[in-house]
Amino acid sequence: MSGPVRPYVITGGRSRSTRAELAIESLVSASAEAPELPEHALLNREHRRILTLCHSLLSIAEVAAHLGLPLGVVKVLVGDLWDLGAVQVLPPVPQAERLPATLLEEVLVGLRQLR
Amino acid sequence: MASANSAEAAPEATSGLPAEPRYLPSSVQGAVKILVTGPFGVGKTTLVGSLSEITPLRTEETMTAASSGIDDLTGRGDKTTTTVALDFGRITLNPRLALYLFGTPGQQRFRPLWDDLSRGALGAIAMVDLRRPDESFDVLGRLEEQRIPFAVAVNTFPDTPSYPEDELRSALDLLPEVPILHCDARDRRQSYDLLIDFVDHLHRSSLLELQG
Repeated sequence: MSGPVRPYVITGGRSRSTRAELAIESLVSASAEAPELPEHALLNREHRRILTLCHSLLSIAEVAAHLGLPLGVVKVLVGDLWDLGAVQVLPPVPQAERLPATLLEEVLVGLRQLR
Repeated sequence: MASANSAEAAPEATSGLPAEPRYLPSSVQGAVKILVTGPFGVGKTTLVGSLSEITPLRTEETMTAASSGIDDLTGRGDKTTTTVALDFGRITLNPRLALYLFGTPGQQRFRPLWDDLSRGALGAIAMVDLRRPDESFDVLGRLEEQRIPFAVAVNTFPDTPSYPEDELRSALDLLPEVPILHCDARDRRQSYDLLIDFVDHLHRSSLLELQG
């Protein structure tokens, strides 16, 4: 991995995503019906690598690991692609609507079955 | 004694990038996360590796912080950036839900990163090496301060001394509601039991809260 400063050249100096809700565990995939991307030239090489990688579902963390980019950079780039409609991002598990007890029970049941 | 268990670094491919990605089933609708924290060398990556369905992956985050209290890598001024490695794994719990496990140092100096990572986490497993428990005080203190639900996981290395639980609780200055669990992080079954006990604890606590 390159030094701490250089990766932000890829994002045009931005260190924050336009999408504050993007988390390290957010799940991303390229949109099935890829829109006609306007101003295609606006996408840099790393944007395109993300689109290629995410033909199926992966987390932000996995995208960062597989592309060798810092997490913050991937969040910015995925935010760009999301704004363009080029990727879909699944909403976070709705902890407010779903009682945590119910969610924790689902996790517990899953783990016990896998044990 | 140096053992495989003390290795924090995951073996890296020659390219520095992991092999082919393993995608989640397209039926998955969301993911939750649990943090695995503790001092360097305590076995975070080993635990994540024992639990994960994928070969643990490594990613990095750069963190800017005031250089007081952290190693000044640049020697230039009062702000510095440092790179923190995160090793993580994944468990597909059912066709709809995935669990990510993030191994992350939890010391005070990594606070900016920690705040970002801990948002939305179900809880944290704080690993402790009883041969050097003092290295965990910083992490445990911060977890309590931030009110993140957590359990202590004593990584039982072959030469780990054993103590009665009350002695351990008092030595680590733990509140009564914090469970103390034990496991050999190299062992898949023990690691699963640890994770199940922890989530069971979280589940019971949330039920108690519902009862108010």
